[in-house]
Amino acid sequence: MALNVLVVDDSAVMRAMIVRTLKLSGVPLAEIHQAGNGEEGLRVVRDEWVDLVLLDVNMPVMNGEEMLTALRAEEATRALPVIVVSTESSDTRLARLTALDARIVHKPFPPETLRAMIAEVTGHSGIGGSHADEHDVAALASDSADF
Amino acid sequence: MPTSTTSPLWQATAQTFEELALLFPDATLTERQARAPLALTAIVEFTGPMRGRLVLRVSAEVLPSAAANMLGEDDAQHAPLQRDAVGELANVICGNVLPAVAGAEAVFLLSAPRLETGDVVPVREADRAMAQHAAVEVGVEDGRAVVDLWIVEGADALLVPLAA
Repeated sequence: MALNVLVVDDSAVMRAMIVRTLKLSGVPLAEIHQAGNGEEGLRVVRDEWVDLVLLDVNMPVMNGEEMLTALRAEEATRALPVIVVSTESSDTRLARLTALDARIVHKPFPPETLRAMIAEVTGHSGIGGSHADEHDVAALASDSADF
Repeated sequence: MPTSTTSPLWQATAQTFEELALLFPDATLTERQARAPLALTAIVEFTGPMRGRLVLRVSAEVLPSAAANMLGEDDAQHAPLQRDAVGELANVICGNVLPAVAGAEAVFLLSAPRLETGDVVPVREADRAMAQHAAVEVGVEDGRAVVDLWIVEGADALLVPLAA
């Protein structure tokens, strides 16, 4: 089953990089939605079918922790898989995010790390934890693919 | 600044260039790399248990390769996106070096990267007197990158704000 993914990050460049890494990870994808802050992200989650959220922490308007709290407060999104993608390394803040049932992937990260974590949080048997193949990873440098 | 800060700064810089931009920095610069003029400056300010500023300066040779590897060849042709990509490199270096310096319990707030054309070192005399400083310089492609980290201990001690 292909996943509908929402990428929430205030940096357009970082969103583009995350989407690129996501495609290189080999995870089967359907729609990829994007939002620039937590408030926009919540709107997308309410309006669209989303299987997975990749969420930044430090954002204006509504940060990632606030969005995650809002997701967990609603019955429909309480169990929605969320991976926090951030440079955040504070144990204090990471503990709060983990307590909200989010997994953490630390920037920078390779496609295979993202793939393994997505397999874990979605329980998607078709993804598995194996690495993206070497051709895909090499494409990150040569960029011959249509991203 | 003690080598205990320079070492994590080097590590954060190398890891970020390698994993985010797929560029492998050299600790020893060639003559050509060392001569490359610095063309773009990215500044990230941070507050928390310590305040300060991380500044990444890169030569023009670094921009297209970094952007192409981070965003793809199509987007990499656009100069604004090349600049933004360098801003994200600065942001990630800063986010990675601070816990190594301040400890894993520390919570920091990072500003959005501010970009300046040319070789800008945004630290005034008042800052220099009160701040600790660490720097690393690496060779990247045919150019170079320089990362400076200024730290003021204590959240109440302010660096002079940057001009708007």
